[in-house]
Amino acid sequence: MTADAGPQEVRSASDVARDAAFERDALPWLDDVYRFALSLTREESDADDVVQETFLRAYRSWHTFIPGTDCRRWLFTICRNVFLRSRERQRPTVDLEDGEQDAVAAGSVYAAAREKGYDDIYARLDLAPALRDALDDLAEPFRSAVILVDVEDLSYESAAEVMGVPIGTVRSRLFRGRRLLQEKLATVAEDLGFLGAAGV
Amino acid sequence: MMSAPARSKLQELGLSASCAEVLTHLWDYLDEQITPTSAERLQAHIATCAQCRQYEDYQECFLRAMAGLKQELSAPSSLRERLAARLKGQGCGCWDKVRREQQL
Repeated sequence: MTADAGPQEVRSASDVARDAAFERDALPWLDDVYRFALSLTREESDADDVVQETFLRAYRSWHTFIPGTDCRRWLFTICRNVFLRSRERQRPTVDLEDGEQDAVAAGSVYAAAREKGYDDIYARLDLAPALRDALDDLAEPFRSAVILVDVEDLSYESAAEVMGVPIGTVRSRLFRGRRLLQEKLATVAEDLGFLGAAGV
Repeated sequence: MMSAPARSKLQELGLSASCAEVLTHLWDYLDEQITPTSAERLQAHIATCAQCRQYEDYQECFLRAMAGLKQELSAPSSLRERLAARLKGQGCGCWDKVRREQQL
């Protein structure tokens, strides 16, 4: 109802329609945006700030949202931009390398794991805590690519829109991120004493 | 065109051409980013190569573990309160819905 908006104004029909659309399309994604912001900032208080700014910007820019398109993706885009702006000095200046090089390097990590007998560690252990730690240590922009595609299940195309980069760049960053995570988990496996335990 | 470091790493691993193709494109395949023809070629090889099948299992387990990280986290009520107040300040008519959501 319009009574919530406060006594200071008479709301126009277009304002009422905008607010109804914002409520219907944007607000249901608050938890998702919070989760994404938290995975970017790694600090709850920072995530709160990013989420607030994201929704305020979304509200102010609601006229730029195209009805019928993916509002969650649109909000993720704003969220990531807010986060990057808040971390301006950490803006990534990563050289793009061939994704195939990372794919092949991941094969080497697997070969070493197989040789040492912990190649089935993902199936045998709950690696969620170690994965979360490794993800927290992963540098931007690899972390965003991995979170968007592997955790939030966005397509390459959607992740590319959120990150404002070509699809090929998402692929490169994703492959690098996965490879770095697997290297990190290989270290965890060794630390856990998995050497020679699998009997492959 | 494959990069020189990737090519040299493949040589180092001493893989057959088909195994090398799986190694290079398995993530593209699992992410459904390759053409159906290429996917069929990889599938055909994986079906006959125990080593590549194990590698596929390994990467699938990894991706499943990643997907499992998606927690059902909810925005805290303190955040909802603050956001509601700020949206109200912007004249947003549905600001109170932000607070109400937490009770659902």
